Amino acid sequence: MTLTDFKYGDVIHRCFRCGYCKFPINWMDVNNCPAYARFRMETYSCGGRLWLTRAWLDGEIEWSDHLADILYSCTACKNCEVKCPLSFNIDILNMMVAAKGEMVERGEIPSAVKDFLENIQRQGNPYGTSRTKRGDWMEGTGIEEYQGQEFLYYVGCVGSYDTRGQQTARVLGKVLQKAGVSFGVLGNDENCDGNEVKNLGEETLFEMLAEENVAQFRGLGVQKVVTLSPHSYNAIKNDYPGFNGDFDVLHYTQLLQGLIRNGGLDVSGGYNATVTYHDPCFLGRWNEEYDAPRAVLRAIPGVRLIEMARNRNGALCCGGGGGNFYIDLLGGSEDSPARRRVREACETGANILAVACPNCLTMLEDAVKAEGLEDKLAVKDIAEIVGEACGIK
Amino acid sequence: MDIVACIKRVPDTSEADIIKISPSQKDIEKDRLVFKINDWDEYVLEAAVQLKEKLGGTLTAVTVGPKDWDEVLRRALAMGADSAIRVDQDVSAEDPYAVAIILEKVIRKLSYALVLFGAQSEDFGSGQLGAMVAEMLGIPHATLVTGLEAEEKKVHVKRELEAGTLQSYTIELPALLTIHTGINQPRYISLGGIRRAMQKELQVMSLSDLDLSLEALTPMVRLEKLELPPKGKQAELITGAPEEAAGQLAKILKDAGIF
Repeated sequence: MTLTDFKYGDVIHRCFRCGYCKFPINWMDVNNCPAYARFRMETYSCGGRLWLTRAWLDGEIEWSDHLADILYSCTACKNCEVKCPLSFNIDILNMMVAAKGEMVERGEIPSAVKDFLENIQRQGNPYGTSRTKRGDWMEGTGIEEYQGQEFLYYVGCVGSYDTRGQQTARVLGKVLQKAGVSFGVLGNDENCDGNEVKNLGEETLFEMLAEENVAQFRGLGVQKVVTLSPHSYNAIKNDYPGFNGDFDVLHYTQLLQGLIRNGGLDVSGGYNATVTYHDPCFLGRWNEEYDAPRAVLRAIPGVRLIEMARNRNGALCCGGGGGNFYIDLLGGSEDSPARRRVREACETGANILAVACPNCLTMLEDAVKAEGLEDKLAVKDIAEIVGEACGIK
Repeated sequence: MDIVACIKRVPDTSEADIIKISPSQKDIEKDRLVFKINDWDEYVLEAAVQLKEKLGGTLTAVTVGPKDWDEVLRRALAMGADSAIRVDQDVSAEDPYAVAIILEKVIRKLSYALVLFGAQSEDFGSGQLGAMVAEMLGIPHATLVTGLEAEEKKVHVKRELEAGTLQSYTIELPALLTIHTGINQPRYISLGGIRRAMQKELQVMSLSDLDLSLEALTPMVRLEKLELPPKGKQAELITGAPEEAAGQLAKILKDAGIF
């Protein structure tokens, strides 16, 4: 492909690298692009990547492992899109995904991305663990398989396979049971939602996953979906309608907000902690849901909610998006976005860093350990905090 | 340079605990497994495609197996193979010699300067097939190839021996090589690429097309029984929550004086 064949070939030159894509809420610093924060080089910012993409497609530079690493270090957190002041900002992240798509078609992608995508092709999850183990997380919980209940509880890959994610998936299941929500899960028959696959540029694989999932949901008569992960929420809410999949989808914090408000979930057991909340990109910037998680936390007696300086659409990504919770191109440094983020959380004086995404949970919990902050700060999913507040062990 | 690449489909057995022996004790239970291209064969295809990109010529991918095995040929076609041949014969119960008889017949029908095999297969792992076929074709071969440079009439290869020792050879073509993992970095095959490869022709041959019959596939070795290795008495399986298990492991290592 040449620049003229590139879908965004006629606009990509319009980025003049003003640098706004790196800002948080204001001019407080320039480290809100997670890849730029990690490497502190212009090439790793959105503007830098756009210039590199243009040079690559124009034949001015050759493809290299390094170029692929730079493009794939984009976590698709959408900070650039939200902060870019130009009218073409709606497409700057799409340009990055399209450039990754070109690398996918050429087969020239980082080996960890290759493993990620091949594992999903084979086993329906990025870890390459057998499909026959996808439902292991629910063992002993009494959670039912989906058979026409009101909600399909879609767990996602991290909640199904990652040890820490599984704990959260179980707690949320128990919270929903306690609230008397009619729900079921797909167990071993659940497949990857494809959200990361799309952002890694493997469009055809994403389409296949979306088509298969929509067909499965419709075949089972699913109308309402509640998700553990904001990544699943984003794909099902925003992409599946394009595949005839119009479902009423909620992130679990939205469902819990309603349940608590209506008295359907008793959280009077409380949770005594100073809590700061980290906005997950795929709930926050991607879907502008900033209030439901905070409302849930505020409704719990004993929770003192304080904000980090970067919050809502100015939140710093944990560095786990765009498959980076697995491909890990941003790890290995005290400048890794997850480590920056937990230091920021610690500075607020909070003793609990609350998250609403299993990817953020694993990224930030690892960062707390790497920073040696275990005695000051614990990372908890909001489902776990609610679980404790309603007496679930 | 015309190249023939022989590849196979294997079960994804990356997790040992999902492997179960079938009641016949001659096979594993396959209904819970997913299948993929043999790991070594991915490197075979990458090596073949790189040679084709550099030197031109044709690349033909060959496999012997039932219809499901088309999927590895589709990958080969997506990767850059010009044509693909599947011999429609289930050889999962046969020994390498029987498969070699079939492949020799197929390869003799094709134009080739170089024949490439994986150094071994992930499932049975005999590592014999390439060498057998080379002998049958009467051409020189090198096994366990970890380095490959080709010219018009010869190839320079490196073989990996014990303790990382490398042997270098120059081999006149035509020749057969069995390729080791790590020789290159196999490219990603996109699903779009595989779907586009569905348009390419895939030739299916029967044993009779090759003037062969089942009787001709005289095995040299017969499989008697498959069994899972007994659990070693020396192994201690640490169970429990990750935090507790890590603590136990640390204690064991500390008690053993390792750190």
